Amino acid sequence: MRAPLGHEESWLQLPWLANGRLSGELRAEVEAHVHGCSDCALELEAQRTLCRTLQSPDTVTYAPAPSLRKLLQRLDAEPAPRRETLRRREVRRAWRPPGLAWAATFVLTVGLGLLVAGTYHWSQPLYVTATRPAAAPTVLHVAFERSLPVGEVGEVLQRAGARVVEGEGGSDVFGVVPADTGAAPAGRAQLRALAARLRRDPRVRWIEPLASDAQPEP
Amino acid sequence: MTEATYRGTATVAREMELIRRVAAGDRRAFEELYHLYHRRMARFLTRLTHRYDVAEEVINDTFWVVWRKAGDFRGESAPSTWILGIAYRKARSAFRANARRPEENLEVLPDVLTHETPATGAELRDWLGQALDALPVEQRMAVQLCYELGHSCEEIAAIMNCPVNTVKTRLFHARAKLQRLLPQLAEPRTGTAP
Repeated sequence: MRAPLGHEESWLQLPWLANGRLSGELRAEVEAHVHGCSDCALELEAQRTLCRTLQSPDTVTYAPAPSLRKLLQRLDAEPAPRRETLRRREVRRAWRPPGLAWAATFVLTVGLGLLVAGTYHWSQPLYVTATRPAAAPTVLHVAFERSLPVGEVGEVLQRAGARVVEGEGGSDVFGVVPADTGAAPAGRAQLRALAARLRRDPRVRWIEPLASDAQPEP
Repeated sequence: MTEATYRGTATVAREMELIRRVAAGDRRAFEELYHLYHRRMARFLTRLTHRYDVAEEVINDTFWVVWRKAGDFRGESAPSTWILGIAYRKARSAFRANARRPEENLEVLPDVLTHETPATGAELRDWLGQALDALPVEQRMAVQLCYELGHSCEEIAAIMNCPVNTVKTRLFHARAKLQRLLPQLAEPRTGTAP
């Protein structure tokens, strides 16, 4: 149960008891105190006198029309304020996060950015390739049918315009170059053309793909 | 006729509706709202500044804000609290600017004010007017908002943008000073303030 209202608090509340704006429990408490306190009862009378005096009718009548005319002229002279319907404003407010949410969004974005950058970094191989890319081929490696006699091999090579520069060495693979290149190294285009000619002969079992085919011509 | 000081529910609802229409750009609603507030604001501000031209300037500055910002009013306070809060800030600015100007006797402008027969108690009101002038402006405003316009303590705190206890303190000091200055208020008293 609350303690009864003290003299000091009652005294402070008297202006609102006098102007009729004290309500509910507080009003009842102040009135109970005033009933038993002569000082507060006298002060309440003084407060009521103040209210009556300040609310008494004016000796002047204020005419609003000239002032309003001036204000309307002022409003007409200025650009109209942007009007929004209540509904649109509510929708806009609903989608506008408060200041703390903006900060959280910023932190989250930065965090996600760092996470993506870190993931990319760690997904990269930790080694570095030290070998240099293979040099352009100067020899075309081919293999013939195993049962092909040496004479026929010579005939296939002659028909395709090729000469052997590397022996088969027990592996059935020969290194050949175009016959017209002489001592100069064969170009990639020449090797490609030679490979095409050799592929047309069914006795050629295998031709090493030219690894540098995808690379541009020097 | 004594102006009603307590803003009834119907009045508040009516003013809310007017502000909603003002927010939509309704000039008629704006004019109605202006007329509703002009008299009490003119009296309040003229008593405060002693210059009707300043009071008129403050009223129009206040309603200029009302016209432009009605859409921002969300009804969290009574319309009178919102409008008088704007007026309070405008009045303070005008009061400061006015205090720096040389004194001009423009208290009453004959083209907009007309005298009426003085009512009973006019003498006391004059004395009270002089006593109020002796109070600091914040105390004077608190007195007028409470006794003249009939606002609650919480409403005055909202209008003056200060804590409730500050309102009580301002009124406490104002009351003590008015008692000393006005024998009519102090005469029947035998007790003293706590």
